[in-house]
Formats: sequence, C-alpha cells, structure tokens
Amino acid sequence: MKKAANNKIQSIVRACRIILRMIEADPNTRHSQKMYYRMLLQYYTRLRDARENGQFIAAHTVFFPAEILLAMDIIPMHTETTTWMTSLFTGECGDILAAGARLGMATEICAPHRGMAGAFASGALPRPDVMVWSNMVCDNTAKSGELVMDICGCPGFFIDRPFKDSGLEKTYMAGEIRDMIAFLEDKSGKKMDYDRLSTIVERMDRQIELTRQVNELRKNVPTPFSPLGFLELLTIDYLFPGQPESIEYLETLKAELEEMVKQKKGAIPKERFRLMTLFIPPMYLMSFLEKLSVESGAVSVIEPFFTFWGEGRLDASRPVEAVVEKAYMIPETRMYGPLGESALEAIKKCAREWKVDGAVYYADVGCRHSCATIKLFKDALAEVDVPVLTIDCDVVDQTVTSEEEVRDKMERFFELLEDR
Amino acid sequence: MYDHQNKHNSQPRYTPLKTLEVFKAVNRSFPHTDEINHIHDQGGKVFGWLCTYVPEEILHAAGILPVRITGYDRETDLDDGNAYLYMNNCSFSRSCLQMGLTKEYAFLDGVVGGSTCDGARRLFDLWRQYIGTPFHHVLTVPRKYTENAHSLYLAEVEMFKTHLEDHLEIKITDEELMGSIELYNQTRSLLRELYNHRKKPNPPISGSEVMEVLDACFRMPKESFNHHLKKLLQELDGSQNAYSGRARLMLSGSVLANPDFISSIEQQGGLVVADELCTSTRYWGDMVEVQPGEPPLKALARRYLNNYPCARMFPSEERFRRIIETAREFKVDGVISEIIRYCVPYSHDLPLLTKRLADINIPVLSIDLEYGSSGSGQIATRVQAFLEMIEAKK
Ligand code: SF4
Ligand code: SF4
Repeated sequence: MKKAANNKIQSIVRACRIILRMIEADPNTRHSQKMYYRMLLQYYTRLRDARENGQFIAAHTVFFPAEILLAMDIIPMHTETTTWMTSLFTGECGDILAAGARLGMATEICAPHRGMAGAFASGALPRPDVMVWSNMVCDNTAKSGELVMDICGCPGFFIDRPFKDSGLEKTYMAGEIRDMIAFLEDKSGKKMDYDRLSTIVERMDRQIELTRQVNELRKNVPTPFSPLGFLELLTIDYLFPGQPESIEYLETLKAELEEMVKQKKGAIPKERFRLMTLFIPPMYLMSFLEKLSVESGAVSVIEPFFTFWGEGRLDASRPVEAVVEKAYMIPETRMYGPLGESALEAIKKCAREWKVDGAVYYADVGCRHSCATIKLFKDALAEVDVPVLTIDCDVVDQTVTSEEEVRDKMERFFELLEDR
Repeated sequence: MYDHQNKHNSQPRYTPLKTLEVFKAVNRSFPHTDEINHIHDQGGKVFGWLCTYVPEEILHAAGILPVRITGYDRETDLDDGNAYLYMNNCSFSRSCLQMGLTKEYAFLDGVVGGSTCDGARRLFDLWRQYIGTPFHHVLTVPRKYTENAHSLYLAEVEMFKTHLEDHLEIKITDEELMGSIELYNQTRSLLRELYNHRKKPNPPISGSEVMEVLDACFRMPKESFNHHLKKLLQELDGSQNAYSGRARLMLSGSVLANPDFISSIEQQGGLVVADELCTSTRYWGDMVEVQPGEPPLKALARRYLNNYPCARMFPSEERFRRIIETAREFKVDGVISEIIRYCVPYSHDLPLLTKRLADINIPVLSIDLEYGSSGSGQIATRVQAFLEMIEAKK
C-alpha cells in the first residue's frame, strides 16, 4: 500500500519536473510561474518522502487552516488538490472515481470527494496519520473526513466553522482550533510553536496584501496577468499559506506585472474580452482553455470568490484568532455564510472596478452550493450590464463535458460580447 | 394506502381508522387548510419553518402558528425551482422554493430556518431574495455536541427569540415558553404511544398511515393535533386491525412526506414499522426536559441540538448509534434508505451506515428518489428483491 501510494505522488513529482523543465527552457515564461512549479515540486517531494523521513502526515480538506499544521511541523496533504493532481497526472480519473463508487459513494457527492475517497481506498494517496477537516465551504467537505478515517484507520478532528460571523461564532471557532491543536499535539507528540504560528500569520497577512496588490495591477487595460493565472494564486493559498516561498512568489509576480504595466503590455497579444471567472474551470481542460483565451483575446481579470479577499488584516499577536479571522476573509467564504447583499455587492464591485465585459460560470454538476447561486449572480451582474455564460462541467470528471462543447459555448459567448 | 388484497398482506380484520380522515383532509388541503386560513383571516400570524433544528415552541409561545414548509406532495415539474436553485440541488429545496415562487406560501408572515445543509441554506438565500416574506431568520446550528457548541446554539436561540420579539413588538415570557414546551411534549408523548403500537408483531396501523399523522402534526395547531391524536390512539386501542408482512422494515434518510411512497413498499409486502426521517423521529423523537430552576430556553436549546441527529451532525456515529437502537427496538429485518436525489449529507453517510448495519446483520436497500415521489415500478422491483433476500435469510 505504501509503495502504491508513493507511486502516485511520485507521478505528480514527475509531472512537475517535466513541466518545469519545459518552462525553464522557454525564455518567455514568467519567472514567477517557474517559482510556482518549483513550489509544487517541493510540496509533493516533501509529501512523497514524509513517511521515509519519519514525519507526521495530516490529510486535510480545502480551506482547512493548514497554518496550524505548518506551525507544528506536520506535513500537510491537501486532499482535494492532491486527488485532482493525481487523477490529472496519472490519467486515472476514471479509476479513482470507480473506486469511490465501489465504496458506495453516490453521484450526489461531488467528483473531487468521490475521487478523494476512491484515491485513499485504492492507495493512490498516502495513508495519513490523522485526518483533519472542516465544513468550509460545503456539505461535501463537512462529510468527507469520517469516511477517510474509516478507510485509512486513522483518527481525525473536525473543525466546525459556524455559519455567520458574529463575535460569538468566531470565539466558538477559536475554541475549535484550540481543541484541534490539543488533538494534534496528542496524536503527533509535537508541541504547537505559537511563535512560529505568529510568524506564519504575519506572513499570511502579507500574502493577502500582496494578492490584493496583484489584483490592483490586474485592473489595468490590457491586464498583465495570464488568462488563468488566478489558479496559481489559489493553489499557493491552498498549499503554502504564510510560507516564505509564497511571499517570494507573490513579490516576484507583482514586480513582473508592474513592469508589464509600465510597458503597457498585456498578458495576451490582443485583449478583447475581460472576464470574471465564477467557480473553477475543469482542471483537465486547462491547456485548452489557455489556448482558447489567447486565440480569442479573452482573459480572466477577477474572480470574486477565489482571489478577491474580504476586508481586514490578520493580527499576529493573537495567532489563533487570526486564523479564525482568515477563515472569514477567504474569498470563497462569501459563498459560505448567508449569501446576502454583501456577496452580491462584492461581485458588482468587481465587475465595475475590473471593467468586466462578461462572466463565465463554471457550473460544476457535483457542486450544489455554488450552482445554486447562478441565478442570484446572474441577476446581480445584470444590474451592472454584465452577461453570464454558464458552462455545465465537472472540475475533474472528464466525462461531463468536452473541449468541443466548451469551445462552442465560449465562441458563441464571445460573439455576443462582440455584438454589444 | 395499504393493499388489503395483497397476497402477502391480506388484512381480513382491517377497519378504516376514522380519525385518520381528519389528518388526511389537512394534508390534502395544505398549505391552504381551514385552520391556517381561519387564523390568517382573524389577523393571526402564521410562520413557516424548515429543518428540525428550529425550536418551534418559541414561535408557538409568541402566539404564532408554526407550520412546516414542505414541497409538493407529488413529483412534478420544478421549472422555477430548477431555474433558481439549479438542477443539482435536492428536489426538496427546489420543490419548496417553487411553491414559494408560485405564491403558495404567500400567506406566511415569517420564515425560520437553520444553517443545516447546502440545500437548505441556499433555499433560504433565494427565499429572502425573491420571495421576501416579512420576517426571515436563519439560526446558526453548530455541527457538534460539545459544551461550546451548546453555548453557541443557546445564544443563537436567544437571538432568535429577541429578533422575533422585536419584530412583533412583544415579550415572550418564561411562562408562555413553559406552556408551549408542555404542549409540544404532549405531542411527543402521544407520538411515542403511537409508535409503541408499531412495535407489536402485528401493528394496528400501517407505515403509510403513520406518515399521514406525522405530516398533519406539523401542519396543524398542536392543540387540535393532540386532541385528534388522542382520539386516534383510543381507536387503535380498540382496533382489531393487525398488519403483517414479509419483513419488518425501517425507513431511514432524507426528508419524506409522501405516504404513497410508503404505501408502495407496503404493497410489496414490506411492513414499515419504524423510521428515521426529518419528518418522523428526527422531528419528535426527544422530549424537552426542563431542569428545576432552569430557564426554559436553555432546555429547549439543549434538546434541539441533542435531538435525534440529522446527517449533518458530527460525529455521525451518534446518528448510527440511534438508528441501530431504533432498529433493535422495533425488531426490524431490514432498512430502506431513501435519499432525495442530490441530498449530500445523507448520501455521504450511507457507506458507513450500511457497514454499521451489516455488522449487526441488518441489510440495507438504498433508494434514491425525487422529493414527492410515490415510488415507481423500478422501486417496487427492488423492494421485491430486497424482501426476497430477507426472507431467504430467515
Ligand atoms: S466542488 Fe463544491 S461541493 Fe465539492 S468540495 Fe468543492 S465546493 Fe464542495
Ligand atoms: S438534508 Fe438533504 S433533502 Fe434535506 S434539505 Fe438538506 S440536502 Fe435537501
């Protein structure tokens, strides 16, 4: 089982190396992009070797505060990202989904979580020492941990992030984080290093600030950041919260974008359509979408739920509270609590300030809580005269939509934008 | 309805239960029942609630008639629901929303829900935006049972009470709350008595008939419901009805309100004697126990959070433990898991629940269906096969 697990992580390592070799040979590649792939390589090499190095592995779900793990010198394994990377780089998406189905995972459950359970069950992912997870941002994340515990025979801890954001609710969540630290200390034999946590929080605050500055630069016409570059920002936050590498990456990216702006250079040769991206495009269509963007002159300039952080700063002198604060500032959490005026205002503001021509909603068939916002978002964006294209798809399951279908829809949408 | 001609279930001594007709009449006319119309016409307030984590007693103590928002009692086109909530949300929330959008719930003076699952919370987002009932409140419901979770939920319940008081410009006293708790506890005791009948080897009431009672329970004022339920219990005490079947079954899963679905199982010879649904035990299961000197709100909050759990709660083992307990208490031979299509919390629990039940030798038949469904030929075939499998094991 250990060997099989290492083999799959090894496939991510291998793929990152190949990509890195290719882009390093290309003089036109952003330096920051090379840094990004080096970071991925580092993350997965560390995970691959963790067992051998006698390190403690914690599997965790999306938006889980990995800062805590990093401050305790625990090796994090971001389950959703690792699952889709495994499925992408091994080409075994169908197999891991089938393994999930064999466990009794119904198609009701989104493919990332069906795949995740399947990946653990088939040994594609390494067996963690503990599973830690939260209900951020959906029922699938909330419900996934116990099955993983059962499959892997490991203990686990669930963090309950309350629905609203009153002081009481934040205090409750801080209590949850403290209980989880005690759990981790008990299981790993490691002590939380609060000074280290403060340093990580301080850097996380800087990371958020830098992301905001990068977004400011993306307001320029033409926009200097690559059409789907936002996925790098997202992955950095998922895998490297408050890490020195993230700061270095973001500072480099920011300097590159500033230079492009100075030279009035856009990320793509001819910018025709400035897009807002709502939800995540299918991972397996990334290179196709990049190509299509360049061909059509369409570029994502803002993503209200991925890169547009909520207001606020993190106070490193109260690191546990700061981790909670972050949980309420993460862009996606706008979709978590009551989706009222403020979330709708945020997308209208994004549309106006980033001069958006149209929005693309990647409607993941397995993702209920996000698809249920389509009508709300369409209506809100109509108020600022921004049409929305909805593409039914799945983040990982390749059987749901094809390149041709996406191309067809996108091209028709671009025609519509052109006519306006 | 139970098919008394069915070869597996011939019920020679079956006599129709008169009181059941009262409940059926309520269910058939809901949400425009005579009682609701009357209260509304008299200037009384009617609030809709969704999810078993809403402490209904507070609404009652405020002089409001609380009714549960349910969707269509049949499978139907949900064009508006689909357009607003998208196809991939549970058909329960789409069905409720569609009824709201088509103004079936226009008489409501308020809606109250809990932050229970994705389907419910999005239903509330859309309800607030597009239906705009005058009062709207969603309680944060923690997913845990810890001391901190109890404190948070109590604070939420207090906030809800204050919001309601401010909105209605009234004060809800502890005496009023105690009165409502007493009334609702009476409902719970009466339902417990009803369920005790189901424990018998040959119960005098079928599963689909019990569903009629349960549906009416959250659609009528509790005062009149209790009155009629008492009469029904008297009828049952003197009844010669004795149902039998090929296997004793328990229903488990998402929200279910259509008695015809249960009928379709019973027509195959299944004897539905127990359930674990938002509309059954998860709704009425536990009593509110007020400790001496304790504020009633605290007792309410404790009961609602500790109640027979929804699949959203952590750890899920607590739900599994209660299901196993119920299955043993009612001596069931098999469990039918019914999950509304796209209901994530219950789907997620199914693999582990199946495993836990297999450990005690109880097989599970998993059925996914649209909310309101009355069962299909395909479901009937699967139930048949399930019953055969249980019989072969006996
Ligand atoms: S795809 Fe949607 S449902 Fe699945 S984990 Fe992500 S947010 Fe949750
Ligand atoms: S528990 Fe399931 S059926 Fe009930 S509202 Fe939530 S998703 Fe829908």
